[in-house]
Amino acid sequence: MLQCIFLLSDSGEVMLEKQLTGHRVDRSICDWFWDQSISQGDSFKPVIASPTHYLFQVVQEGITFLACTQVEMPPLMGIEFLCRVADVLSEYLGGLNEDVIKDNFVIVYELLDEMIDNGFPLTTEPNILREMIAPPNIVSKVLSVVTGNSSNVSDTLPGATGSCVPWRAADPKYANNEVYVDLVEEMDAVINRDGVLVKCEIYGEVQVNSHLSGLPDLTLSFANPSILDDVRFHPCVRFRPWESHQLLSFVPPDGEFKLMSYRVKKLKSTPIYVKPQLTSDAGKCRVNVLVGIKNDPGKTIDSITLQFQLPPCILSADLTSNHGTVNILSNKICSWSIGRIPKDKAPSLTGTLVLETELERLHVFPTFRVGFRIMGVALSGLQIDKLDLKTVPNRLYKGFRALTRAGEFEVRS
Amino acid sequence: MFPQFGATAESLSKASTMVFRIGTDAHLYDDPDDVSIAPLLDSKFDSEKCEALKRLLALIAQGFDVSNFFPQVVKNVASQSLEVKKLVYLYLLHYAEKRPNEALLSINCFQKDLGDPNPLVRAWALRTMAGIRLHVIAPLVLVAVGKCARDPSVYVRKCAANALPKLHDLRQEEHTSSIEEIVGILLNDHSPAVVGAAAAAFASVCPYNLSLIGRNYRKLCEILPDVEEWGQIVLIGILLRYVIARHGLVKESIMCSLQCTDSSHSEKNSSDVDFGLVKESRDMSGTCDSEFVNMVSRCYIEGPDEYLSRSSYANRVSFELNGAQFTSGKSNDDVKILLCCTSPLLWSNNSAVVLAAASVHWVMAPKEDVKRIIKPLLFILRSSNASKYVDYIRDPDRRFAADTVAAIGQCVQRLPKMTHICVDGLLALIRKEFLTNDFGSGDQEAGVLVQAIMSIKSIIKQDPPSHEKVIIQLVRSLDSIKVPAARAMIIWMVGEYSSLGVIIPRMLTTVLKYLAWCFTSESLETKLQILNTASKVLLGATGEDLWTFKKVFSYLVELAECDLNYDVRDRAHFLKKLQSCNLVSRGPEEGTNGLPEKDLHVVAEYIFGRQRRDVKAESINYRFYLPGSLSQIVLHAAPGYEPLPKPCSLLPDDLNVPEGTCSIKKGAADYGGTDGYGTSSGSSDDEEESASAYGSQRSITGSSGGSRGDDSEFTSEGNDNVDPLIQISDIGNASENENGVSQSSTNLVELMSNRALESWLDEQPGSSNPGISEQSKVRKSSARISIGDVGRRVKPKSYSLLDPANGNGLKVDYSFSSEISSISHLLVCIEVFFKNCSSETVTEITLVDEESNRALDSADQASVVDESSLLSYDNVPTLVPMEEIASLEPGQTTSRILQVRFHHHLLPLKLALFCDGKKLPVKLRPDIGYFVKPLPMDVEVFMDKESHLRGMFEYTRSCTFTDHIEELNKESGDSLLIKDKFLAICESLALKMLSNANLCLVSVDMPVATNLDDASGLRLRFSCEILSSLIPCLITITVEGKCSDPLNLSIKVNCEQTVFGLNLLNRIVNFLVECVLF
Repeated sequence: MLQCIFLLSDSGEVMLEKQLTGHRVDRSICDWFWDQSISQGDSFKPVIASPTHYLFQVVQEGITFLACTQVEMPPLMGIEFLCRVADVLSEYLGGLNEDVIKDNFVIVYELLDEMIDNGFPLTTEPNILREMIAPPNIVSKVLSVVTGNSSNVSDTLPGATGSCVPWRAADPKYANNEVYVDLVEEMDAVINRDGVLVKCEIYGEVQVNSHLSGLPDLTLSFANPSILDDVRFHPCVRFRPWESHQLLSFVPPDGEFKLMSYRVKKLKSTPIYVKPQLTSDAGKCRVNVLVGIKNDPGKTIDSITLQFQLPPCILSADLTSNHGTVNILSNKICSWSIGRIPKDKAPSLTGTLVLETELERLHVFPTFRVGFRIMGVALSGLQIDKLDLKTVPNRLYKGFRALTRAGEFEVRS
Repeated sequence: MFPQFGATAESLSKASTMVFRIGTDAHLYDDPDDVSIAPLLDSKFDSEKCEALKRLLALIAQGFDVSNFFPQVVKNVASQSLEVKKLVYLYLLHYAEKRPNEALLSINCFQKDLGDPNPLVRAWALRTMAGIRLHVIAPLVLVAVGKCARDPSVYVRKCAANALPKLHDLRQEEHTSSIEEIVGILLNDHSPAVVGAAAAAFASVCPYNLSLIGRNYRKLCEILPDVEEWGQIVLIGILLRYVIARHGLVKESIMCSLQCTDSSHSEKNSSDVDFGLVKESRDMSGTCDSEFVNMVSRCYIEGPDEYLSRSSYANRVSFELNGAQFTSGKSNDDVKILLCCTSPLLWSNNSAVVLAAASVHWVMAPKEDVKRIIKPLLFILRSSNASKYVDYIRDPDRRFAADTVAAIGQCVQRLPKMTHICVDGLLALIRKEFLTNDFGSGDQEAGVLVQAIMSIKSIIKQDPPSHEKVIIQLVRSLDSIKVPAARAMIIWMVGEYSSLGVIIPRMLTTVLKYLAWCFTSESLETKLQILNTASKVLLGATGEDLWTFKKVFSYLVELAECDLNYDVRDRAHFLKKLQSCNLVSRGPEEGTNGLPEKDLHVVAEYIFGRQRRDVKAESINYRFYLPGSLSQIVLHAAPGYEPLPKPCSLLPDDLNVPEGTCSIKKGAADYGGTDGYGTSSGSSDDEEESASAYGSQRSITGSSGGSRGDDSEFTSEGNDNVDPLIQISDIGNASENENGVSQSSTNLVELMSNRALESWLDEQPGSSNPGISEQSKVRKSSARISIGDVGRRVKPKSYSLLDPANGNGLKVDYSFSSEISSISHLLVCIEVFFKNCSSETVTEITLVDEESNRALDSADQASVVDESSLLSYDNVPTLVPMEEIASLEPGQTTSRILQVRFHHHLLPLKLALFCDGKKLPVKLRPDIGYFVKPLPMDVEVFMDKESHLRGMFEYTRSCTFTDHIEELNKESGDSLLIKDKFLAICESLALKMLSNANLCLVSVDMPVATNLDDASGLRLRFSCEILSSLIPCLITITVEGKCSDPLNLSIKVNCEQTVFGLNLLNRIVNFLVECVLF
């Protein structure tokens, strides 16, 4: 099991150490680790065997979470736990950076102490943690300035620690009972140079924001669950109803959470097309990229962007567009932000690249990464049929939304 | 654009952070010691105490040692404010081990808190009390944990489960049974949260006590989906181990489908895999896979250490799993329920859970169901590799492109249907590449090209006749390809497939002429390959071409003999001799080289003419270890790695023993018949204290014991003299346990222990003196002896390298030598014995390194041997070249010292043995016991070194030892004195150690106990240093038990290099429990 957790800033400074077992880990291991990670450069390894310890590392928002162990344990467990710590801290502190961790080091210590005991995870549900250790907020800060006294440690044990739904805080009460279900999808696609769709799939999440009194029992059903290829669930989802009827039956945690994630494979079309043309001749390369709507999803497509890495053998580039703005960043990445596609014309990017002197023509071609966002549509076609509540409170508001954006959407040329 | 604006924005954001930081603990972290902390701690306001504690915490966070505040902080443990309590606990846990004396002051408070109505307070008290890890209070903690295990609050019960490993860490044998009993209670808990924590406790406290699981197996399976994710990960692993130990492997699973279907076949295969390189040809792929799975499943069960240490094949075959060790997944309910309960976990959003569930299916599920795990695992990666590779080739990153091309090659090997498309694609790529290559975009382009040709090569290998045209195309493009490695490979293909089809033979003359023409301008690699090819062609040639070839060949050899590079010259001489029969027109002068010409021809045929076996591209190293384990990733057995249990090792009888009797029996065994238990266990349990405290320590303890009365002395005392306290406590523990261990009603025990502690705290100054004197008396009564004649009797274990059956009558054994290499400290000396068991003379025996050959695989393997083994690899060769044995008469024996550098202390080294011109692959298995060399030192130095290697550098394991029984029985005919019994034990132990590892015996401590048959307290010390790093490594073995019974050994290793030390410890335990085979 884990023996020690270190938090390192982006400059390698050890901000915090939390020893977990009797086998103390000296913080000199961090120096070793930092030297190692600098000398290794880009190749990021989540599990490292140091001369004395095995190290797990997770980097989130510039902060390195480093855990040490000397004995066999599932490495994924260590990594998942560190990710959980990072998520919880980020949620508590509203983002992660060196200052915010140093400012709230007491809370970080208290959280770590509650999340892990003797190297084994103890309480990791964000809802419960929030009840045990109050997140820093403006009121408590003001209070502490004014009265010089405030405690963020709860005096009582949250009831949920003992209940059979450990993720749910006990008996919250709301005047307005609301539950929102969002389908958030990302489209991963690969289009080859002939314009053929090689891969097109949706990675989606069902995000729920629930503010319901008491102990609500929800059932969510889809109109077309058969299209789902892979699924993963929040621990609150009961496996049986899903196995037998593809129903999501669950007692939700309070607040926002990710109910499930899914994947839908082998989609037939993409909402937009991108047609790059590169012709090179006599030391020059003409670029022409056309973007337009292919299959109208019925809602506006916005935030369309196009990015590509200019080939390394290029001396200069002169690229212009008839719509949106084109920027060439310092690391030779060309970024074209289009926004919405106008009705009257198809946006296009044109220009020439000047190749290195001895090079006749281009033989490596860039890959275009496309970004877009469509509100109100789940492109996978997944549809929520209904959401039932076993005991309906007198006032209940149910809301549904959908959103699709581009994930790893690549067009090759 | 507007730098000045950027600056404003920056300062603005700075300002906003400043605002944001108000009201946080920022100032405490930045300047933790700008006020005097001590008075704040003594303040009567909670808020001031809080601030002081936060400042201390900040200092801890920044790595400062603030343990000098300990006494003041401990006082605050009684505070009513929960925040102060929490902060005090955080501080306490960090320093308790450093300041055990003061930490004891807090115990009363914890005891009080354990009775608090607030479950949070109870839980915290328990966590902290167990977390401060003092031997003295272990009995109290045990009672508290037992009580909390029945607490109404789930949270407290969960903390109780987590406290058990902390207790177990103290390694107090007398508590083991009680701890296991509590684990059993908690595993039976009705709350899933508690069961999860209990599973974790089980895994670290008593992973072998699978009968505990058996009692609750059904329930555990059913509760599994409701357990918290972290608990699920551990519990899945435990359930899998249980099912295998109880029922064996599943017949329908991948793991044993092969052994069942045709055991005789697999037996044959298992002996072929090492020695069959020559015999097996291309159709190997099918059987190879099965062999491979076979090996994997064995490794899972036996652990690589054991698997690799099997010296001979006879052994291995004897382990052949018999039919009784299998169960059917269809009829066995336990298997079914496990699979059923883990399959929904494949949907978990915790990837560790998914992997754990997937590994259960991988091992246990029927073959046809295993595919279920593929999709969830791929989903974790969030990518599918179904897309066509062709698109990646244009990727700007050329290194990636090279990898892609290699992947295409592998793809084709798996999917024969795609062959044509892929080959066409690759050819087109090559054509394009050598066009662009002229523009000099560097090494990476060359990499792509080489990779492409390598892929084609491997594709052709599968079915040469159908790819004739491809070869021709490649040969045609030879002129335009400039990369030496690529050229060499194409030339190799010419030689290899020279007799293929009808067109190639016709081209050969032209090609060879072309090659001869450009020979001088080629690079080394290509030159060697041209020579090889020419001789291959020559061998296969017939008719009129023969003359041309001969001419070209002699021209080439002549050129090569004048080459600047001596490798080339060497090769040329070699080939000239070899081909002499073909070159010289047959005449009367037969047998000029001492060998009949015919033989020479055969040799040449053999070297060049045979089919090559595919070299498995994929490394199998990572398959040694269970999927999802740390060991699998770091590629060595991490400390604590356990393979799956032996199938059916858990008998149904074990389950029927009720828990109560079980523990009572154990208790009885522990205490029965040992009058001097209190004293003897005192010295054996805490070997490190007694070891170091022996001499000079006494005076210190004496003085501190006298002045213990006043407080100031109490606090200023260093950490050094914790020993007397612990020794007293051990006596206390023992007596306390004699009374209390079997009792389950908590009240009485608690009362007693409470009283015991209080009385102890009160009476401390007074009682410590007699305690010490008693202890030292016990110590004095142990004697140190020396066993002089052991050295002579040490005979290192011999392993078999080559069986006479496989080596045409040549038998090769090896044993690790205690000699130290004079060349490099990275080398291990091995003595190799060659014996000719056949009736004919064996000639030209030599051993070379296989790996370095493979590095030059693009070239012809067999003939590159000589120069490659000399090539240095990381400056030190894997194998220092061995002096060749020119000939070995029948029945003759000879030996050679081999100096080898193992790359890994578990993985075998592949060597090639040449005899009579034949190559036999052999495997040299490393023994970590010989990766060290003796480091002579006297006891004082040993103690001193040991005292510097505490904590994380110290690891202990225990095992039983039986060797001496035979020895004793053998001599029991004579009237043996008791003293000699001890001596016999010492000797057999020392002999065992020295025969299996390269150590130096430092000292033997022998108890002069009242009980003459009691060997407890016997202690042997060994020392050595690691060859590669020269870091010392200390080994202490302490014996416990009766002379005539199996002895309990506790082996302790102190070493700075943790991983090495632990592996050495494991090895020592392994060979100590091994039986001697006479």
